[in-house]
Amino acid sequence: MQPEFYADGPAVLIERKERSLVIADPHFGVETDLHRHGLHFQSGTNSRLARLLAVIEEADPDYLIVLGDLKHMIPYVTYQERIEMPEVLRKIRRETVFRLAPGNHDTGLEHYLEKDELLPMNGALIDGTGYFHGHTIPDPSLLGHLILCGHHHPVVNIYDAVGCALRGTPGYLLAEIDPSVWGQVPAEPTRVLLVPAFYELAGGMDIRLIPGGRISPIAKAILTETAEVFLKDGTYVAPFAELRPDPLERV
Amino acid sequence: MTSAIQELKDSLHPKLRAVLEKRGFDEFSEIQMRAVPELITGINAILIAPTGTGKTESAMLPVFHHMLTDPMPEGFAALYITPLRSLNRDMMNRLEWWGAELGLKISVRHGDTTQTDRRKHATHPPDLLITTPESLQAMMMGKVLRKHLAAVRYVIVDEIHELADGKRGAQLSVALERVAELAGEFQRIGISATVGNPEVVGRFLCGKRPCTIVQVPVAKTLDLSVKFAGESFGDQTKMIDKCIDAHTSTLVFTNTRSVAEAIGHALLPRGDTDVHHGSLSREVRVDAEDKFRAGMTRGMICTSSMELGIDIGQIDHVIQFNSPREVARLMQRTGRAGHQIHATSKGMILATGFDDILESMVIVNKAMSNQPENIRPHINAADVIANQIAALAVERGEIAIEKIEQIFSRSFCFENAGPLIREVIAGMEKHYLIRTEDGMVITKSRARKYLSLNLSMIADEKKSMIFDVVSRKPVGTLDESFVISWISSGAVFVARGRIWRVLDIDEDRIMVEPAKNAKGELPSWEGEQIPVPFTVATEVGRLRRLQNFNEYRADEKSVLFAKKVLSEMKKNRSITATDQLIVLEDSDEGVVVNLCGGHKVNETIGRVLSILLSARYGTTVGIETNAYRILLRLPKFLRAPDVEEVLLSLEPEHLEAILMLALKKTALYKWKLVQIAKKFGAIDADADYEKISMNRLLDLFDGTVIEKEAFRELFFSSMDVESAKNVVAMLEDHKMETKTSRLSIIGAEGLFTGRDVVVPPGEDQAIIESVKHRLDEQDVILACMHCRKWKSKTKVARVPDQPVCPVCGARLIAALKPYEEPMFAALKKKTLSTEEREAETRMMRNANMVLSSGKKAVVALAGRGVGPEAAARILNTFATGDNFYREILKAERKFVQTHRYWG
Repeated sequence: MQPEFYADGPAVLIERKERSLVIADPHFGVETDLHRHGLHFQSGTNSRLARLLAVIEEADPDYLIVLGDLKHMIPYVTYQERIEMPEVLRKIRRETVFRLAPGNHDTGLEHYLEKDELLPMNGALIDGTGYFHGHTIPDPSLLGHLILCGHHHPVVNIYDAVGCALRGTPGYLLAEIDPSVWGQVPAEPTRVLLVPAFYELAGGMDIRLIPGGRISPIAKAILTETAEVFLKDGTYVAPFAELRPDPLERV
Repeated sequence: MTSAIQELKDSLHPKLRAVLEKRGFDEFSEIQMRAVPELITGINAILIAPTGTGKTESAMLPVFHHMLTDPMPEGFAALYITPLRSLNRDMMNRLEWWGAELGLKISVRHGDTTQTDRRKHATHPPDLLITTPESLQAMMMGKVLRKHLAAVRYVIVDEIHELADGKRGAQLSVALERVAELAGEFQRIGISATVGNPEVVGRFLCGKRPCTIVQVPVAKTLDLSVKFAGESFGDQTKMIDKCIDAHTSTLVFTNTRSVAEAIGHALLPRGDTDVHHGSLSREVRVDAEDKFRAGMTRGMICTSSMELGIDIGQIDHVIQFNSPREVARLMQRTGRAGHQIHATSKGMILATGFDDILESMVIVNKAMSNQPENIRPHINAADVIANQIAALAVERGEIAIEKIEQIFSRSFCFENAGPLIREVIAGMEKHYLIRTEDGMVITKSRARKYLSLNLSMIADEKKSMIFDVVSRKPVGTLDESFVISWISSGAVFVARGRIWRVLDIDEDRIMVEPAKNAKGELPSWEGEQIPVPFTVATEVGRLRRLQNFNEYRADEKSVLFAKKVLSEMKKNRSITATDQLIVLEDSDEGVVVNLCGGHKVNETIGRVLSILLSARYGTTVGIETNAYRILLRLPKFLRAPDVEEVLLSLEPEHLEAILMLALKKTALYKWKLVQIAKKFGAIDADADYEKISMNRLLDLFDGTVIEKEAFRELFFSSMDVESAKNVVAMLEDHKMETKTSRLSIIGAEGLFTGRDVVVPPGEDQAIIESVKHRLDEQDVILACMHCRKWKSKTKVARVPDQPVCPVCGARLIAALKPYEEPMFAALKKKTLSTEEREAETRMMRNANMVLSSGKKAVVALAGRGVGPEAAARILNTFATGDNFYREILKAERKFVQTHRYWG
């Protein structure tokens, strides 16, 4: 398997027998929610979709796999989503075959999807790689494989001797997990790749705070000793354990 | 009684004459004698005169005269607008008596007015309404009140200098045109403190209409001096103590609330002093005012809260503790003393250090020769345009764009707004405040809600208290926009000149502890800093150069202290920066640029220098500025001559573009952008920012009119780009020179506040820094491939440039990853497996590379997944410096994308 990273997504292409382009958490339709929270901006769907279509064109995949949270509002479908989703899906389908590993924000989206497009809630194994959103315990069939998941919106902060030199840039966390924390019997070693959010306004979660956190069962199961971090373009940052700490942090 | 006085009285309505008789008015002040005859003719005018000489009456007598003489329709015939509620109350007390005597209804309306009174204003409108600019905005939202506003014949704007200088004034100038839309033309009277450019204040009030200036200079009634108050706070308070003893009633002005508190605390044992400032509750302040008026207290320690004309009775003496920083401020403050028609105002500055003494001397001279600063109205503030367009749309439901342009063009603040108005309309449409159709602006449901939350152009923000958990004391307050852009658990910021770390945030409190480490990206919060203007700072520079202290009004001790510092400088062979010389000094913390430019110019030049240094040397630069110096925190390898070279390479016409780049990533800019986005209606005042990246949200404003306004305001208010350009032009023309030197005592003086850090441009730099660090920290096994007897584990950073085997002296040293160590040990066997032979070949290649390229090879080989082949490719590019690390990053990226990595 050889991944290719597309910094302009962020997106990652996984190639085995087939080429699967993967993105996570695009949150189409978020502007309605922002509007309700006092932030009044025009729909960003067109520019977000254009970005996605450009990555699809560049990667020329057999599949687009979205790791959940394709839409934004919970627990229903907003006017904005009702108007925009069919168009978003139509344009994606025109380019490639599409699969959605449903996320916690995807409530009500089933009606807009075609047969086969919706993967099971606990993830699916496609071409030897597991795909799921990341807010639940993955299906046992995924264990022993590389699992890509969304949901965590990982970002990296880079510090230099003087202070924080790069704040909140999207990044990937590749880590082995110990599924026994959920009471499952570990099969082969399982690795997860946390994929950063495609949604550009995502506040994100500092990668250093994800492992062991309460955000998901996956976060709890991450083994940090062998975990590694890289940026959205595949730049290798450091082993997780050696991420340079905030120089201001108390020891 | 002289004939002039009689003549003046005779010109007034009989009822008014009778009231004057009753009050025993047989003498008029100069301003009254001059203003009343002018104003009675109905002309527009600005009145300027010392405090306490009856300016209010000079404006109101003619207005009362006309209200009694001319027939009045139902509604508000006159509006009296002041900037503060407390002034409204004061005016009400003062005018109530006149109203009762003359049979005119007078009322007051502002934020604290009760519902009952508000209803009364609608059902039984007063003839004269005392109000604030914000309440005027609110009134125009109501149908009935708009009808009453249609009766307006006279508008008096009190303390107009205070309004004209800010966005509130820009908003008011449009509001007056909106009133004129309802009422037709009316007489406009402005009452102002002394300013450098009264004609601009006149144009601010009247636009292109004629306007007369009636001015009685304040300076001739001032008697000011500078006194050295000693270096310790104890000596300083003792001096204040003595001054209060020497007079019956004394006002002590400080520049900050915390200093007012400190002095108030020190004087507490006296029992006859009070503290008065904006952070105290209204009750406490009113109580202090009452006690002072009644003569129960002899000293009042106060901040700018006491500057405006609140009547607190007789004051014989005003003390200004530390330089007042602005000439106009000193004139306004000391003008409070001698509240009588002929008395002179006595004032004294207690100065405490070198900068402070010289600055005070300059300011006193400028005040005595009547040279206050100019008022600078905001021209073309886009958020004010948006605010007033929304107001017009709500008021009328729909309004033609041409009509909007016409209304704005009558205001001095927007007479040349041109295409900006349509640009703003397009922006408002994008944020769903209004829509447009056939050249009309049509209101949307959101507009009314927006408007009621944004009646004021004052960034009226939620304040969060900062609470120090170590001392268990509140430190101060922070504005909301600062909190949202910078404050999170673990964040470090500067407030009150100290560094704090955020421990926790609850509802309205931010728990902090003092932080020790001074490094890092430190946004600063300095809410109440008064900047020293360029004009004052350059004259301080001139005084440093000429040392003509005898031409200034300072006591002997002040002059001695100043001379002592200057002779010390000479003794140390230090060079003193002047108005014609910038001195760049090397210090342990970085480079100090001694520039007598004032806060805003130094801020401007400091930021320009830091972004250029940061870009050129790829390093983070910290900056701190005050009125006479800029401290650039730099890595050790950058010294004064490097900064000097950048300074001398500047060109005036490039400053703005550089600053836009420089500011974009700073706390200051983000804070301003949020503030303007709120005033513009893109973000609600009570918006909830959780879960989203504010930084990236702010990117959505790139290229918009909101971004443009943020830069306009920063360049105009927080900085002084025009004067900075002057400085750069003077350097070009050699009217100003530069020198470099070691840190001097003047360079080291002064508490630094206001920190910011300029991060190198682009992510690239940060990533390279991080990979350098990672590789340096990497464990490496150095193994001699010649004798194969020596190996040593170390960190890459500690590897010498050309490693040598201490056993056999060979330079054939392989740089191995820790996991290769067992394999190296295995090579000692006599017979090797295929796998081991391959490893041996790889290690030999590795060692050969180290032999020919030295440490560079060791660094390359330390990369994640970089083997001898990849390392050879890296070394073959002959890249050096950052490019070398870029090559390593490239190789690592390739490795991450291989099958081997993913298994």
